[in-house]
Parts: sequence; structure tokens; C-alpha cells
Amino acid sequence: IPKRETKKIKRFQEDIRDRNFLVNQGIIYTYMSNYTNSPCAACKFLRRKCTSDCVFAPYFPPEEPTKFANVHRIFGASNVSKILQEVAPHQREDAVNSLAYEAEARLKDPVYGCVGAISVLQRQVLRLQRELEETNADLMRYAGCLGGETTSAYGGRRG
Amino acid sequence: MGNWRGMECFLVLFPSNEPRKHIHKGSLERFLDLLLIALVVLMTLKGGTSGACAACKYQRRRCAADCPLAPYFPAEQPKLFQNVHRLFGVRSIVKILERLDEIQRPEAMKSIIFQSYVRDRSPVHGCLGVTQQLQYMIWLAEEELKAVNSQLQLYRSQNDGQNQQNHNQIMINDLGVGVDNKQQQDDVTSQLDLGMGLNVNNNQSNVVAPFFSPLPVSETQQPQMSYTYSCSEVNNNGYSPPAYNTDSGKEIMTNNNNVWGVHNRFMYNDNNGGGFNNQNESCHEMKSDSGVMGIQSQLVNLQMASNHQQQEEEDDAHEYDEIHQFLEIIDDRQSFADSKEAYASSSGETLKEQIDEIGENELRSAATCFSLTSVN
Repeated sequence: IPKRETKKIKRFQEDIRDRNFLVNQGIIYTYMSNYTNSPCAACKFLRRKCTSDCVFAPYFPPEEPTKFANVHRIFGASNVSKILQEVAPHQREDAVNSLAYEAEARLKDPVYGCVGAISVLQRQVLRLQRELEETNADLMRYAGCLGGETTSAYGGRRG
Repeated sequence: MGNWRGMECFLVLFPSNEPRKHIHKGSLERFLDLLLIALVVLMTLKGGTSGACAACKYQRRRCAADCPLAPYFPAEQPKLFQNVHRLFGVRSIVKILERLDEIQRPEAMKSIIFQSYVRDRSPVHGCLGVTQQLQYMIWLAEEELKAVNSQLQLYRSQNDGQNQQNHNQIMINDLGVGVDNKQQQDDVTSQLDLGMGLNVNNNQSNVVAPFFSPLPVSETQQPQMSYTYSCSEVNNNGYSPPAYNTDSGKEIMTNNNNVWGVHNRFMYNDNNGGGFNNQNESCHEMKSDSGVMGIQSQLVNLQMASNHQQQEEEDDAHEYDEIHQFLEIIDDRQSFADSKEAYASSSGETLKEQIDEIGENELRSAATCFSLTSVN
């Protein structure tokens, strides 16, 4: 084979190798950045380019646009990103979910927000605890009564 | 039914000045006020007051007279505003306040301050964490309440059953007492009928010849069966005793520690009407022999066993506890009965005296009977 041809082949093979490499890189790249290649809900809402290092991307999928909209309306995107950065990566999803819950509650009830629900639940807990104490007292009384009835039955019923 | 006392003693446990009211807003107001007071107490700093509110101080700007945040963020508590600013941001708070009425603003700010405080304390979960904890506590309390209520239901049904049987026994005893009163002046044999009268009226109207009178004994066979069965055949024409097995008969003989009074007492506490009858029958035999008196306690145990069998069907461990309780009471009463001090009513004592009188005479007359009767 002439030298020209071998060089061509060599360049071709390198080309293929590079392309493969780039393709591989591209696959990794798209996998890291939401491999669908569509912007996250936050970037869609904010109308900006959703980069690979977007803070919101893992927690605000494009399928749930209202989630970020609510959070942004109440807390603001910058506050949310600050909060997320202060929290450990493995806890960020929980943080985002709690923020979404609080934002939704605040939108439904602008005066009390989620604190209203907390108040209702606390009242319910107190009521249940009270009821439990009363029922336990009844139970103790019955248990004592059944043991004491044998004494009183004899004494009270003879004659 | 048992005596139901009021819940007054338990109300003492709960504070009288409970902040919760029935009006939703009022209770929330009080709730938020309490929260805010707690926060202020935590975060109050000493220092002189200045014109700028905490919000304007934080933003390093001049606090205007109409600053919307000034009423809610006093300068002495900068941390409050820091929390709020970190979570909501000034713009968000101002937007929220603008949307609300004047009346609603203080409440809204209180809830915002509380929410920010909780977020500061728990950066990951915030108020959602508190909500979930409360929901879990509610679930726990409800589960516990269900269990306690089911237990209470069980006790109530048992109590109803006992009361029903006790009521039946009262009627029987009343009838028996009437018969006793009639026959008090008769001779020993008729006095023996006193005890039998209880049984008679329970089963049939005709008077049954006492076991220990010579005539009935001679008329009857010499039973080879268990002791209880022999009693029933002699004493009652139509009465069929409960199906006590021979083992229980043997069990009767093994115990030698009982007093008549104990046995008599527990007749009225019997849950099983059949067992009561049997007790009556065997009581009179036992009067005649002090050694046989031990049978009485075993008959009590037999009743307990029958009760036990009944209760086993329900398959509840607490009934076993109840039986143990009952047995403990029996044991306690055995110790009391010796001193003859445990009788609560005079009629009980009267009957006991009569039975004691009967016992001596019966000892003699029944000596021959026992020689004929098989014990096992």
C-alpha cells in the first residue's frame, strides 16, 4: 500500500477515534445535564440557558413548572439558590421539597401559610392526648372495678 | 354498672387558661403571639433603641417614617429580620404585605417570622419537618387510642356479663333467704334444708330432701362417681349438674385448705349459674366433714376453671389476669375467713352461724354417708 494511502487511513482512523471520543464525551455531557437536553423548569421560567452546572436543574424538572414558579414567587430564585448551596448535596432534594410545600401553602393562605396547618395539627395532638389520658383513666378504673367487684358483690348482696 | 365518676380530677391536669379557642383566627392569633413571645424572649438583646428598625439597619439605609417593616422588626431583635431576609427576601415580604389588609398584616408577619425561625433552626426541612412530626404524633396517638378503646370495650362487655350474672344471683339469694327464714325454727334436718332451700328454689319448687338425712341417703345409690355428681343425685331430682369431669372431682379432694365462709361467699360471685348450683349441693356435704371442707375451695377453683374455660374462648390474655386477680382475692379471703371478720353483711353471718350449727349435727349423721360414698 502506498505511503499516502496509509497516512490517509491513519488519519481516518484517528478521526473516527476522535469522533468516538467526542461522541462519548457528548453522551456523558448530555447525561450530566439532564440528558434530554431541555432546560430545567427554573431556567425555562427565568428564560435563560440551562447550563450543565445549573443549581436548579436536578430539583426542578421541566415537567413541573409550577413547582419553581411558586417557589420563585414566594422566596425568590436567588434565596433558593443560596439555601441550596448552604445545604449538603444529599439533602438538597428534601430542602427543595420543603420549600415547595411552604410556598404552595403561603400561596393558598397568604396570611398564615403553613403555620396555620401546624397550629391545627398541634391542637389535634393536644386533643388526642387528652382523650388518651381520659380513656386510660377509664381503663384503669374498669380494671380496678373488676377486681374489686368480688369484694363488694359479696358484701353488698348478702341479705 | 360500675360507678362512673366524673373527669374532674383529670381536668386538674390541664391548664385552665388554655390558649386554644374555638374561633379559628383567635386561636391562631394566640398561638402566634405565644410563638413570638418565645422568640422575643430568646432573642432580646440589651441596648438602647434607635430610630432605624432592624430591617433598615440590616440594609444600612435610613428608616423612613412610613417604613412598612418597622412595626414588625424592632431594632432589638436583628436576628428575626435576618432569618426572614434569608428565606423570603425584602421584596417578597413587601409584596406579601401589600396584598393584605391592615388587619391581616400583623398576623401574616408573625407567621412569616415563625416560618423563618423554623427554617433557621432546621435549614433542610423547615416547617414541613414540623408538620410531618406532628402528623406522626397524631398517628401514634390515634393508634394508641384505638388499642385502649378496644381494651375498654372488652372490659365493659365482661363487666356487663358479670353484672348480669350477679343480678341473677341476687334474685336467687333473695328467694333462698325467704326459704331460710321460714325454716329457722325447725329441727336440724330442716335447718339443713335452709341451705338446700337455696338450691331448691333455684331448680325446682318442691323441697328436696337433704343429703344428710338418713332416708334420702338410703334411697339413693352408693355412687361411685365423683363427689359432685353424688351430691347432685341425692339433693335434686331434676337437676343435672354441669359436666364436671372426674379429674376435677379429684382436684376437689386435693385441696384441704378452705373455710365454709369463703366458699359461701363465692357462691354469690359465681359467673356460672350451673356452677353455683353445684356448689350449693356440695356445700352441704362439706359441712359434715371438716376434711371435706377442703372440697369447697376446690369447687370454687372449679368454678374458676369453668369460668376460665368460658373465658378461654374469648382468647384474651387480660381475662387470665382477671382470673388471677380473682384467685388472689380468693386467697386473701381464705385468710380472712378464718377470723370470721370478713363478712360484710349480717345475713351472711347469720347463715354462717346456722351452717355452723348444722355442721356439728351433720358431722355425726354424715359419718355413715361418707363411709358409703366414693370419694374418687
